Amino acid sequence: MKGFKKVLAMLLAVAMVAAMVMGCSGGDDAKEEAPKDDAQTESTDEGGEDAAPEDDTQAEALKGGGSNIIYIITPSVSNPAFKAEADTATAKAKELGYEVKAVSHDDDPTKQTEAFDNAIADKAAAIICDNAGADATIEAVKKARDAQIPTFLIDREINEEGVAISQIVANNYQGAKAIAEEFVVAMGEKGKYVELLGKESDTNAGVRSSAFHEVIDQYPDMEMVAQQTANWEQTEAFDKMEAILQSNPDINGVICGNDTMMQGACAALEAAKLNLPVIGVDGSDEAAALIKEGKATGTALQQFAVIASMAVEQADKYLKEGSTGLDEKQLVDCIAITKDNVDKLSGFVFTE
Amino acid sequence: MAGTKKSGNNNQLLMTLLKGRTFIVLIILFIFFSITANNFLTAGALLSIAKHVALYGILAVGMTYVIITGGIDLSVGSVAGLAGMIAGGFIEQGLTLKMFGVTVYFSVPLLVLITVLLGGLMGMLNGLIITKFNVAPFIATLGTMYIWRGLANIRSNGATFSQLAGHEGLGNTGFNFFGSNLGGTSIPVGVVIMAIIAIFAGIVLKKTPFGWHVLSIGGNEKASKLSGIKVDRVKIWVYAFSGFCAAVVGIIATSQLVAAHPATGESWEMNAIASSVLGGTSMAGGVGNIGGTIVGAFVIGVINDGMTMCGVTEFWQQIIRGLVIIVAVIIDQFQRNLQAKMALQARNENK
Repeated sequence: MKGFKKVLAMLLAVAMVAAMVMGCSGGDDAKEEAPKDDAQTESTDEGGEDAAPEDDTQAEALKGGGSNIIYIITPSVSNPAFKAEADTATAKAKELGYEVKAVSHDDDPTKQTEAFDNAIADKAAAIICDNAGADATIEAVKKARDAQIPTFLIDREINEEGVAISQIVANNYQGAKAIAEEFVVAMGEKGKYVELLGKESDTNAGVRSSAFHEVIDQYPDMEMVAQQTANWEQTEAFDKMEAILQSNPDINGVICGNDTMMQGACAALEAAKLNLPVIGVDGSDEAAALIKEGKATGTALQQFAVIASMAVEQADKYLKEGSTGLDEKQLVDCIAITKDNVDKLSGFVFTE
Repeated sequence: MAGTKKSGNNNQLLMTLLKGRTFIVLIILFIFFSITANNFLTAGALLSIAKHVALYGILAVGMTYVIITGGIDLSVGSVAGLAGMIAGGFIEQGLTLKMFGVTVYFSVPLLVLITVLLGGLMGMLNGLIITKFNVAPFIATLGTMYIWRGLANIRSNGATFSQLAGHEGLGNTGFNFFGSNLGGTSIPVGVVIMAIIAIFAGIVLKKTPFGWHVLSIGGNEKASKLSGIKVDRVKIWVYAFSGFCAAVVGIIATSQLVAAHPATGESWEMNAIASSVLGGTSMAGGVGNIGGTIVGAFVIGVINDGMTMCGVTEFWQQIIRGLVIIVAVIIDQFQRNLQAKMALQARNENK
């Protein structure tokens, strides 16, 4: 019992030291509060918003860290979409004469912050980033901004404007709507269907799902019998799809938040000897193959390669001229891919 | 006779080199990366490495204690995630007491204390499951790893708490302290916290009866029990300490991001285990020290950040990290054999 008390006493002592350290910090925070408030009033002031960023770029264009390096930070390149993105950006930046360091953050915001820290320490000229979380990324981008490094976000947005120089994203909403229309046609405007959602913490999962439903819910004969999240993953989609097929063997179609889940769903349907209309979003080569074989109806191509090279071009322009001359938020339309135009799709590039 | 003495001296030299091997590796890595990566040997880069190391360094300190007792704690990453969500939730939403119809907002020091104590409790639960219900540590902590991760997601339904700056009116500002730099200097607070925890843990392990009990339990649990050590109680405290460390990491990580993300800390337990092992902690238990663990954590941190700054791709990074860990353990085994041989030699000479 004595040892017990000693340990307890020590823990308490540590807690007290910690409390004292925290107490000392009070002073700094008051100072930090002021600029933050400014930022808030700026963003709420909608009328003046158009003028504000222009002023910003003219008055204090970020010069870059000093070196000739562009950091390209993406989710794991084991996903072909991000690989296409990273490879295109790398090629484009090298073509424009930059040194490139490509890093992956594995969708871990902490790892992403580490990558940003590395870029800052490395005096990077610019950062191209497909981020790991709409909220969790803001601080990292701000830190880069403080170090004079401009950040160009691709594919996914963050929940704050005026921090990054550009946010170039695929128009998920338009893409999902376009392919949902193809789905309705393939279903003959009636029947039961299942939805596989992406990771719920990801904004895109919500945007795509609501766009699907905006189209499909207009048809009263279309009924959703199950809705499950499969976290963007193939194996999880396969398992969930098999489970759903057990309880709903009479479904007529499946909608998936991305192509990876579509692959899983198609595999499960094939195992159950079913061939139903299935749609996804992304436009991967695997999805293209499924569409060609007639196992899937279609997908919405997010033009990852186009987005990535746009970002690098804008970074180059910004570093040379101090402005991209474009709005911060830019949407790139998706292309609905069905068996009619699937042959033009390869490696996330659609050639007319 | 002279010959054996000479070989003894050689052995001794080899031994010193082997004992300091992690440190030597660290120095070699430093030299290597300062040649290959341009801006590696700058104050900014080194401080950012230290900041990253602080996260799994603190986890590794708790993990070292657990591994010394012959156990393992896989739940630390999840505890870090859940602790971050608890702290974030307290700041953004407060604690709503339905029966009184009020929402309480804690001040930052208080909510940090609550979070850290809850982390300790989560660890304590691990200890209770392991000792009282006789579940293998690997299984018990594997189970709680999933439970805490699930709870972290449930807390916000998978969303992120992002309003961590707090409100002046609610008196809960100042959470970003843990992710910032220490007043005026450029030393990250996380590094200071790691130093405090490491020194505290190092002294307890080396100089107090509690520490000796931890080491002896790892060496021989039955013998320790028979000699009157309250094995279960010590183990529970060890797991509680690991949980406490994990909660501290959760707070630092969310404070650095100024956002509490439920996936924070996924797979960090592996970094913590690797740091301990690199630092000479034996997975069989009974051997280990905190200084080694911190050096081990720095080796991993330098490899991670150095390779990133060199532009090495993610996949190669994984391979190199794996190789370093395996080689470290092989050298560890080699050292242990040599040590046994030398002890035998010394005994023979004394005869």
